[in-house]
Amino acid sequence: MGRYILKRLLMMIPVLLSVVLLIFILQFITPGDPAKLQLGTDATNEEIENWHEKYGLNDPFAVQFTRYVWGIVSRGDFGNSWRNGQPITQEIISRWPTTFLLAILTTLVSVISGTLLGIYAALHRGSLGDAIARVIGILGISLPNFWFALMMILLFAVRLQWLPVSGFYGPLYWILPAGTLGVLGASSQMRITRSAMLDNINADFVRTARAKGQEERVITYHHILRNALIPILTNVGSRFAQNLTGTMILEQIFAIPGIGTLMVLAINKRDYPQLRASVILVAATVSVVNLLIDIAYAAADPRVKATFKSSSGNFLKFKKRAG
Amino acid sequence: MSDTEKILSIKDLTVHYLPPEEPACKAVNGVSFDIRKGETLGLVGETGAGKTTIALSILRLVQSPPGKILSGSIEFNGENLLEASEAHMRKIRGSEISMIFQDPMTALNPIDSVGDQIAEVVHLHSKCSRAEARIKVEEMLELVGIDKSRYKDYPHQFSGGMKQRVIIAMALACSPELLIADEPTTALDVTIQAQVLDMMNDLKKKLGSSVLLITHDLGIVAEMCDKVVVMYAGQVVEMGDKRSIFKHTSHPYTKGLFGSLPGAFPDSDRLKPIKGLMPDPAALPAGCKFADRCEFCTEQCRAREIGLTEVSEGHYVRCVLAEGGNHH
Amino acid sequence: MKQKETVVYTTKKRSMMQESMHRLVKNKTAMAGLIVLLIVITLCALAGFICPEGYDKQDIMNKFISPCAEYPLGTDNLGRSMLARVLYGGRYSLFIGLAATIVAAGIGIIMGSVAAFYGGLVDNLIMRFLDAFNAIPDLLLAIAISSVMGGGVLNAILAIGISSVPAYARTARGPILAVKEQEFVEAARALDARDRRIIFRHILPNVLSPIIVHVSTGISGGIITAAALSFLGLGVQAPTPEWGALLSASRQYIREYPYLVTVPGVCIAMVVLAMNLFGDGLRDALDPKLKY
Repeated sequence: MGRYILKRLLMMIPVLLSVVLLIFILQFITPGDPAKLQLGTDATNEEIENWHEKYGLNDPFAVQFTRYVWGIVSRGDFGNSWRNGQPITQEIISRWPTTFLLAILTTLVSVISGTLLGIYAALHRGSLGDAIARVIGILGISLPNFWFALMMILLFAVRLQWLPVSGFYGPLYWILPAGTLGVLGASSQMRITRSAMLDNINADFVRTARAKGQEERVITYHHILRNALIPILTNVGSRFAQNLTGTMILEQIFAIPGIGTLMVLAINKRDYPQLRASVILVAATVSVVNLLIDIAYAAADPRVKATFKSSSGNFLKFKKRAG
Repeated sequence: MSDTEKILSIKDLTVHYLPPEEPACKAVNGVSFDIRKGETLGLVGETGAGKTTIALSILRLVQSPPGKILSGSIEFNGENLLEASEAHMRKIRGSEISMIFQDPMTALNPIDSVGDQIAEVVHLHSKCSRAEARIKVEEMLELVGIDKSRYKDYPHQFSGGMKQRVIIAMALACSPELLIADEPTTALDVTIQAQVLDMMNDLKKKLGSSVLLITHDLGIVAEMCDKVVVMYAGQVVEMGDKRSIFKHTSHPYTKGLFGSLPGAFPDSDRLKPIKGLMPDPAALPAGCKFADRCEFCTEQCRAREIGLTEVSEGHYVRCVLAEGGNHH
Repeated sequence: MKQKETVVYTTKKRSMMQESMHRLVKNKTAMAGLIVLLIVITLCALAGFICPEGYDKQDIMNKFISPCAEYPLGTDNLGRSMLARVLYGGRYSLFIGLAATIVAAGIGIIMGSVAAFYGGLVDNLIMRFLDAFNAIPDLLLAIAISSVMGGGVLNAILAIGISSVPAYARTARGPILAVKEQEFVEAARALDARDRRIIFRHILPNVLSPIIVHVSTGISGGIITAAALSFLGLGVQAPTPEWGALLSASRQYIREYPYLVTVPGVCIAMVVLAMNLFGDGLRDALDPKLKY
């Protein structure tokens, strides 16, 4: 198991390196001289040349790329912002917890409510409750999150005035953004849970459990749900990734000082190093979350665990034989 | 014969599946038979004859909807199971009546170790500590010929035959009075079939259980059963002790079954398969259900419902020809 | 002999398709989705007849008029008819969603098929490359691409299309890997058919169902992504009346004139909902095993 995790961590390195490369190439195919964009059209040639020198843009691509990667790996340094010349890492670190907190909260709301609703819908298949749950399920994946957020602001903050319109000063301010995005995310979680439960609800082993005299509650949660867990877990991973980007967009609407507002600021000012850093950070986070979910598979399903063992070499087999 | 000896008595059981917007599937129509203590009864018939539905009805596990037990009674030790509470049924399932399912490949939960799955039934029906349950499970594993060191292994690490042993261990863990085995060897290799059947026979004798053995294989019936019930299209067409069924086969369908069996009639060198297919249980014909496939069919057969006739003591046949009393 | 095999194969396929169509037509919610979709498409196509003055005719005297007889959906901050803007905007939204899906499906299916068909190093290279894409959430990738490429309809299509390539590649690759080893492909190979011919004549027809389902949900996803890009100030730019751009422009008036935000949002939600209903029905019809 430990070996498997190590292997997976090592496999993340080329993926993340490719992400950096991809994002780095994007900047190089951008039309126009970034110096002109940053300094304005009336900048002198000398000023432009100095600016190029300052941000190392005169070096060949390979040198720039290597320097960038080395900076990240050795010092966690994402370079300096083109917008204000400040170190990017500091600004990102100060804003990251806000975005991360919201993404986690949102994912919790989505996963908990979506899974429970999906279980209910599957167990009461064909009932009115199931029909309502399915409507919620399809509605939730059809509403654009930023528009839904605006509507929720209109309702809860403007009309009813129960919640603050925007800002980020405490738990009261978390409710609208995390609630909006969480409810929308719950719909896909509900759809996946419902179908995964239905795949198992008539399984032979469920009948076996009934024939043993097991109670329905245990049958539902132990036998059916645990066997439905793999697709449910997979969706938790994609939920988190989507909620993270969703949070970054909603930050605009709720004026939350997170990584998303920073990113939009960077986009508007053509501050590519800043944008690059945000994307890389998100990609790394998503990769780590997916790794955690892969590890959770092993806990959920012994068959997956068995493949982990075999992929971690002969070490475990040897240990077993010796013991 | 006094009633107290009967461990299970099914009377006039009718079970239909009623899917919405589709015609009712008449799976079981007025079936009655008894099983006595220590006896093995073979329930024989083609796929779709209603055998599994009877088995599931005994445990009250017919999926509902669409399944519905319309009438009849199932008395187990004198108590009508069809009127028992769900909580009481849960106590009976797995302890007093247990069941072995047809397909061992899918009958075990893939995410629990086999030991835990056997322990589940032990915990449900006896108040014992984890350690005691573990000892009991290890005993059961050894009993069915699996090394107890495999307690923590998962179903995917077992072959089909070994899985069926685990299922048998699970079914017998609480020493049930009645064991229902639904085609327990159909999904297994021939060599493994014999092993599993031998083992079931041994264990049955050891524990004194009665067995309801569902099969379409008359060879297995010959080996295992004391009594035979032959079903066709949801009805009993012939029943009696093994000797009368095998020696004095009376119903044309039962004869057909023997005719389909290689080596059953050593004097004839050809198989005589039954022509045609069983009628759709959603559109059963009036009169004798076997009429369309029967070479002795007369007008009488389709005119009215045919009752069971006792042709000799304990040997019943549902056929016009038997009603005359001279048909053997 | 080969000809005979093909004939048997196509007749079987047709009857399967017919059966799927029958299931689809019987699915009430899917048909409701299709009807809504057709109505919206017709209305957008007829935008020139319904609103002959075009989407950009300003009338400063009549700005911020709430929905009324003359302006069924009201007017915006420059006195432009919201009905006209929404109808013309629908053309852009639907077109971007469709075009981006064609780009994504085209590139993705080719990459996925090539990867699955050749296997080995090719497969590895392509899939690792897509892994990198996959590590970045779709929308963020679209944002990144869009921000370096700049605004405009074409750039929005490319950004959305490219960012959703990996999903199509995977959708195509999985079933192809499974189909690849089946006998009829072996048979075609034994008859020395060219690789391209095997891919297009034998393998693709068999992986069509999952791809059709994916495409049907891809278009609605593309519409939402396009709207999100416009909303962030990327993608389609004013005065182009794409639905997300309408939302973005109206956002500052949400307190005083909420209908300006409600109308384009409802349009997006309605079309996407209709597409998803139809897509769900299509999935159930094409693969009855996957009954949800």
